[in-house]
Amino acid sequence: MSNTLEFQLTLPLTGFTLALEHATNSRALGVVGPSGSGKSSLVEALAGWRRGARGRIRFDGATWLDSERGVELDAARRAVGYVPQDQLLFPHLDVEANLRFGCTSDGALVERVLRVLEIEALRARGVATLSGGERQRVALGRALCARPQLLLLDEPFGALDRPLRRRILPYLLRAQREFGAPFVLVSHDPTEIAAVCDEVLVLHEGRVVARGAPSQVLAPGGELDEGFENVLRGRVSAVSASSASVDLGGVALEVPRAELAPGEVAVVSVRADDVLVARTAPKGLSARNVLAARVDSLVRGPAARLRVELGAQPLWIELTEAAIDELELAPGAAVFVVVKTRACRVLASGGST
Amino acid sequence: MVDSALVDALRLTLQVAAGSTALVALPALALGRFLARREFRGRSLVEALAALPLYCPPTAFGFLLLRAFRRDGPLGAQALGFDLDVLLTWRGAVLASALMSFPLVVRTARVAFENVPPRLEQMAASLGASRAQVLWRVTLPLARNGLIAALLIGFSRALGEFGATVIVAGNIPGRTQTLATGIFDALQVGDDARAVQLAGLSALLGFVAVWTSEWFLRRSRSSV
Repeated sequence: MSNTLEFQLTLPLTGFTLALEHATNSRALGVVGPSGSGKSSLVEALAGWRRGARGRIRFDGATWLDSERGVELDAARRAVGYVPQDQLLFPHLDVEANLRFGCTSDGALVERVLRVLEIEALRARGVATLSGGERQRVALGRALCARPQLLLLDEPFGALDRPLRRRILPYLLRAQREFGAPFVLVSHDPTEIAAVCDEVLVLHEGRVVARGAPSQVLAPGGELDEGFENVLRGRVSAVSASSASVDLGGVALEVPRAELAPGEVAVVSVRADDVLVARTAPKGLSARNVLAARVDSLVRGPAARLRVELGAQPLWIELTEAAIDELELAPGAAVFVVVKTRACRVLASGGST
Repeated sequence: MVDSALVDALRLTLQVAAGSTALVALPALALGRFLARREFRGRSLVEALAALPLYCPPTAFGFLLLRAFRRDGPLGAQALGFDLDVLLTWRGAVLASALMSFPLVVRTARVAFENVPPRLEQMAASLGASRAQVLWRVTLPLARNGLIAALLIGFSRALGEFGATVIVAGNIPGRTQTLATGIFDALQVGDDARAVQLAGLSALLGFVAVWTSEWFLRRSRSSV
């Protein structure tokens, strides 16, 4: 199964026409962009919820839409698991009945989904009594129970506040690992995209304005630059009572223990303005991470920032122009990067993230 | 001591209202569903026709039914080859009441169906449910309270139906006399005390039916 998703779409929207073309083998495609840029319309067109879309959509060799040949598969025949922003849980059914809606015969799958998403205790609850995070997990679970070939997630955590979104994120990764379905994730949160996606499309007024790896496309100063958070991946090499050591590829980063276990892959975020830079090795600091690095690139101006390599991964650091001058920073300069353990947030962890 | 004529009128009123509600239920709910979800040419014409009994005198509809079911009418014994036995029977009262309550049931049912978010039905379909399954598993359960209210409103309307009923079914004590036609009969013979009894009972029945339908309507607004 190639899981190749190809689309070439035009869809008239209010004020502009969505015109997108892309082909990808990515198992985790992120779609970001400002409100009204066409993100949700794209996902609805892929899901078969939007009449009037013209062009072609192919997935895994099957044609879902070919307006020239008059082919337009309805939503049920596309075998997608669609999780919309408003979840659309059936209000007259309890959690388990919602999950069973799309797979009445496969009880084992429902039990597995309940377990993986940790919603077993909610199975008899009415959906009106669920919290925002619980509703999101149930909506994701219902989509998984329909055995989708492709998950379409439209701002699935958009209604949640940031801390709660970060707590839900691991469930998405766990779902992908356990059930294997590739997904398209729409989000306005670049960190969320960087944490879980391996390719990203940036939309603006119905057009793709950037595409590529999240570490490239979502760099500060790029298309999206709102309180930039670095997203780093590494394997947990050791854990202690309160912290864990994550190997970023030759560089060990001390992070909060969270629920990490040795050998797991961890996804960690570090805000660009939470990182200090020193030219000589600082001593007597409470910060646990004092890491030798070399300046890779540097941007001057009101939003000055520099990029260093940690292992093979970029780490962006925001600092003032005065600090750059005072420290005489320039590409190639040797520096020490200082990060408090508590400034590292574990976004997700698991076997093969 | 209980007045047997009063009991007969009460029994017949309930029988006619229940029969009328049963008769009207399927077509009125189906039309309500159709109008809630479909846009088509001639929609306003269908809506106006369905609402006609609300705005025309009931006596006019009674007259039309009388013409249709009399021996030489299009639904009479001569045309069909057998007698439907509608005129001057309780079945005629059922038919007249059903016709007069039809627009109210359609209108309330349409609102109940409109209150079901179409995206929930779309989600059910995208999870593999057929049209019939979407209707049975999502639409009807979510519209249930509004639909019960619609039927209760139709029942309430049938309880008080007079104009069409008296023309089609007549006003025969023990056979076709309902509470509404009984009041008219009591006034004709100057029996005010009996008219008060019948009117009080009608008001009580109507209040209970309407109050119950309001209760279901309130629940229907909060359930979706």
